[in-house]
Amino acid sequence: MEPIIQWRTRLEETALAPVRRTSRRYWALVAALVAVVGWGLYAYSLQLRDGLIVTGMRDRISWGLYIATFVFFIGISHAGTLISAILRVSQARWRTPVTRIAEFITVVALICGASFVIIDLGRPDRVLNVFIYGRWQSPIIWDVLAITTYLTGSIVYLFVPMIPDLALFRDRLTGSTSRWRGWLYRTLAIGWIGNAAQRRSLAAAIGILMILIIPIAVSVHTVVSWIFAMTLRVPWDSALFGAFFVAGAIFSGIAILIIVMAILRRAYRLHEYVTEKHFVYLGYLLAAFAAIMIYANISELLIHGYKLEEGAEFHLRQLFLNDFAPLFWFYLIGGLVGPIVLMLLRATRNIGGVIAAAVLVTLAMWIERYVIVVTGLRVPLMPYQPADYSPTWVEWSIFAGGLALFALLITLFTKVFPIIAVWEVAEDQEATVAAPHPAGPAVPESRAPIGG
Amino acid sequence: MDRLNGDPPDGRARDVLPDGALTVEPSTGRRGTAIGRRRVLHMLGLGALAVSPIPVVPELMRIAQSGRAAEPARGTRPPALTQDGRIRQWTMIIDLRSCDGCQGVGGPPRCTAACIQGHLAPEPMEWIQVFEEELPGGGSRFVPTPCMQCQNPPCNNVCPVGATFSTPEGTVLIDQDRCIGCRICMAACPYDRRFFNWGEAPVPPQARLADYSAEHQVPARKGTVMKCDFCPDMARAGTLPYCVQACPNRAIYYGDLEEDIATNGRAVVSASRFLAENNAFRWKEELGTEPRVYYLPGHGEAVGRDAFTPGRAATEWPWTEIVEGAETWSR
Amino acid sequence: MYQTIRRVAGPALAILAAGAMTVMLAVPAIASHLVVRTSFPSAATVGEGVSLAVNLGTPDGAPLVGATVTYYLHMSFAGVEGEGVIGRAVTDDVGIGAIHYLPRAAGLHEVRIEYRAPGAATVEEVLGTFDVAGGEQLVRSAGGPDIPGINPGLLMAVLGGVWLILLSVAFRLVGIARASGRADPPAGAGPR
Repeated sequence: MEPIIQWRTRLEETALAPVRRTSRRYWALVAALVAVVGWGLYAYSLQLRDGLIVTGMRDRISWGLYIATFVFFIGISHAGTLISAILRVSQARWRTPVTRIAEFITVVALICGASFVIIDLGRPDRVLNVFIYGRWQSPIIWDVLAITTYLTGSIVYLFVPMIPDLALFRDRLTGSTSRWRGWLYRTLAIGWIGNAAQRRSLAAAIGILMILIIPIAVSVHTVVSWIFAMTLRVPWDSALFGAFFVAGAIFSGIAILIIVMAILRRAYRLHEYVTEKHFVYLGYLLAAFAAIMIYANISELLIHGYKLEEGAEFHLRQLFLNDFAPLFWFYLIGGLVGPIVLMLLRATRNIGGVIAAAVLVTLAMWIERYVIVVTGLRVPLMPYQPADYSPTWVEWSIFAGGLALFALLITLFTKVFPIIAVWEVAEDQEATVAAPHPAGPAVPESRAPIGG
Repeated sequence: MDRLNGDPPDGRARDVLPDGALTVEPSTGRRGTAIGRRRVLHMLGLGALAVSPIPVVPELMRIAQSGRAAEPARGTRPPALTQDGRIRQWTMIIDLRSCDGCQGVGGPPRCTAACIQGHLAPEPMEWIQVFEEELPGGGSRFVPTPCMQCQNPPCNNVCPVGATFSTPEGTVLIDQDRCIGCRICMAACPYDRRFFNWGEAPVPPQARLADYSAEHQVPARKGTVMKCDFCPDMARAGTLPYCVQACPNRAIYYGDLEEDIATNGRAVVSASRFLAENNAFRWKEELGTEPRVYYLPGHGEAVGRDAFTPGRAATEWPWTEIVEGAETWSR
Repeated sequence: MYQTIRRVAGPALAILAAGAMTVMLAVPAIASHLVVRTSFPSAATVGEGVSLAVNLGTPDGAPLVGATVTYYLHMSFAGVEGEGVIGRAVTDDVGIGAIHYLPRAAGLHEVRIEYRAPGAATVEEVLGTFDVAGGEQLVRSAGGPDIPGINPGLLMAVLGGVWLILLSVAFRLVGIARASGRADPPAGAGPR
């Protein structure tokens, strides 16, 4: 058993490594992402010039890819909430290496999600009207309030547990890094030296935040769902929408977390801290939420399918049999049944299997958001033929730009901020070594480092 | 090095050594940290102050802008009044016994055509649209459908900026100077009666000469929503709307529920009696939107239409010239 | 010759009388033969119901029972003048028919009551007027639901509470910053 000091030093070096050295591959990736974001910006400039006519949306299907992507991004922002907050509240030890990345994802996803709403506006030059003339009775205003509160709360919740690690950066990187970075760490570490008073304050702050952020996050995706459920469209007129969307959000959040975790683990050699156990646990969570989603879908669809009222019949036909059948069946089988199967089979209950499940779920959840938006609007309201919608290259470009922005921001974050919650991981390790937690996870800690 | 627990670091002296003596690391510059702390306190204090009034910011901005809280209706003139000063409550009664989709006179429906001409409505907007609905027993009927002017309007309820609003006369209007183009009102309307200006509206150049008001939405603004407005400016002046005037069978009645009166341009009726005695109904009554547009059931039999004669001519937008940079779109 | 006239006169008179009676019975609704009286209020107010009554009787004072009369009101709207039906009544056993009418407009109301006998080619009509004074607004534009208790105040209270909690976290951070100057006491037995 190696001395704790050596383990600790290796942990800190791992955390500091991304900031100390930057490889050429990193810059190549950044350049590629910037290029995609730039292409998206170009497409958006066309939309600003010509209006929304450059999209595929029209009067009958007046929301499309942008709103679907907005809902998707707000959904994946719940990664941070689940991992950081819920698992912290329930004192699940295994969460410690993944909390930081989950919190990154939350902040970046909220920023990207909010951008997509503004991109969807017909008059983005009047976006301030939302603040000057905002009507409290409107679901969009609830949305604005909830998302700004959640974004603020998430930034704080990202920042506060990062303070000790920022102090670590401040102390260990002085002189070996650029001036602005030194200033940044000094400022953000707000004079952390680790004394008792500070530790008390930090624990209190984290304690408040971890409990506060959960209802905020639940409210965010609930009000996002109410943008649809407060209208009279037959497929959206459901009491279940709030809970359904929150479950779907956490579901897609776990999937994105798995994917980002896998990429960062490979890129920054986090194999010792983010182990197969973490992936398998996240995979179990994924499967559990898949089961919840299956239940929600059955509740929703069976009730309408049994009675087959006029609008409901059209809707169910377009989902299961006609235009949207391929997408919807992929969502059901690949996205909901898939993760459960992959986690049940011993052969796929490993990192590879979990990542495959996560990719399926991410694709399936975006498709599900898209299907909800478009099929909801497609059910004819009056005696006319149902319209069709297909996104144009402008919409796809902006979508790609948004995804690239998400990836770019996370990539840039990893070069500035500590990607692992060093003090939490160390605390967890030391506690495990000192006194194995009687009520902790049954899987014993592996002492020998994996992969060196 | 576990700064959290105050363990002595390996190799470098910080604030506390095991024997308790304090040292100062020149390179960390504790003076530098002290200055940073003050700045940080300053920033945090300002941050907290900046953040706390967020719930009342909208009201403050509104008051700063206009000196008073926002009123719901903008850009409209005083409401139309009866002789003794009561506010008129506009309504429309459409007698489906007399509507044959203009099959009898040939050509596209005249109500839609007149509305398009009068408002220079861009293609493909049909603010009053004649739907052909299949009857349960077979055959079809034509249903001219203007904006329902609901008294519990889903569009009003969801608009984030109050760009769509109800006037005292019960008419639902849109202020295209405030609309941000979010289109939640279009998702909310259950009658498919709201239209969006996806691009520069393909209207004839003379549209640019009009003075825009919420009661006469000419010219259309790109990126905003528009719809039938019950021609409130004309009604206030005592003229019937374009669609009412244009109908060759006089199937559309325009009236005032306050005075309980309606006319189709030729006959005057007591609105309540006309509705009750002819078994009037409203579209999608079960949704609780409380429309102000009533229908008298029929299929054009009063003007000689056979219920099994389908089809009507397609609506046209007869502009010879449209503004530059505009193109039409489909619905 | 006198004997011939006397012999013809009797039956001729009888026939004439019978014919006259038949004529009288068969065409009782000839205008000049019917007595029609109206009973209108002298004044009314918008929104307050009034009774518009009519009394139909034959010239010899007998009431006309079971006759259907139609009330028309002269209306004018958007430049169109005309008459609209405002009610129908059936006369009772004393010949009185009445409708209960709620005036909706202010000004002079000109009512025409019309009686068309079954099978008759012409109509009996009588005109009457009454003045209506202005009243209160009867129909109000609702413009949306009003759910008691769900109001901006509630939303602001909840939101304000959340932001206050975030503010308290900010104060904790200030506390961390300020505690930076104080090192731990050198007991070496800090909590671990």
